[in-house]
Amino acid sequence: MTKAVTTISPTRMELIRLRRRIELAQKGHDLLEEKMDALMMEFLGLARRIKAARTEAFAKLSDAHSKLLKCMAWMGTLETVQASTETLKEVEIDVSGRSIMGVRVPMVEAVEIHRKPTDRGYSLHVSSTLLDEAASAFEEALSKLCELAEMEEAIKRIGLELERTRRRVNALEHVLIPRLKSAVAFISFRLDEMERDNFVRLKRIKALLEAREWKR
Amino acid sequence: MKCKVAVVGDLETVTGFALAGVAYFHVHRNRKETLERIKVFLSNPQIGIILITSRVMEELSEELQPLIRTKGPMPMVLVIPDRKGYYPASVDELERLVRRTAGVEVVLG
Repeated sequence: MTKAVTTISPTRMELIRLRRRIELAQKGHDLLEEKMDALMMEFLGLARRIKAARTEAFAKLSDAHSKLLKCMAWMGTLETVQASTETLKEVEIDVSGRSIMGVRVPMVEAVEIHRKPTDRGYSLHVSSTLLDEAASAFEEALSKLCELAEMEEAIKRIGLELERTRRRVNALEHVLIPRLKSAVAFISFRLDEMERDNFVRLKRIKALLEAREWKR
Repeated sequence: MKCKVAVVGDLETVTGFALAGVAYFHVHRNRKETLERIKVFLSNPQIGIILITSRVMEELSEELQPLIRTKGPMPMVLVIPDRKGYYPASVDELERLVRRTAGVEVVLG
């Protein structure tokens, strides 16, 4: 504060400039605060949705695991692993981006992951139906997990942006605006002081001139 | 953009997701190898999502956390429970994030 005060020149031009800057900073502060509120709402809504999606996806995953376990018990672990290496590795997801309040978040298009047992690629005559069941359960779990991944990534981004915005709001509110205000106060005091100086000076000159007139 | 999925975890998890058609996978055996593989996955532009089981995440969290924090927008990393449904609070990024950003404990219904 003191440093800012010592470097500014107490002129009327400077005063006008500072007042304009305060106005701008105030406007920026209000805008950022609104952005923060909007982000917060988005953040909490997303957090709620993630909670629900997570429960669902994890339940699907544990279901898939129990089916796989059954399959391993029936077919043998090695055979199951073997079948899994024979499976066609063709699953693809479509990732694009969208923007929430100026935050880029990924968006996963739900590509159909589910396949028919004949399309999976392992040989059908050595595998049990339990394997088909396990595979389809994992496919289901995978599609849910992809949605979950999208949401978790989005919330991380939004959280980061939220923190950044909060920091900027605080900087404006607690540093920049008080500093500018104190500078304005300094200049206006200084200008008032100069005006009083001038007033006294004029009075004095007038008195001197009048005294000279009197003498004449 | 078309992307593939990668899985890192125990044998059961990896087998299951391989049956579902996941293209990249790694069975966790020791820290060094797994870390190398995850680094490769992270820098592979073809991979869109990396699924890591909670146990691996827990074991390698010191090395993985900075990697995940400094990565670009792609790939997404998701921590999943392992075959026993193990999902400790220490790998739950969400709770921590909510507490930090909201500043309060929020009960999410």
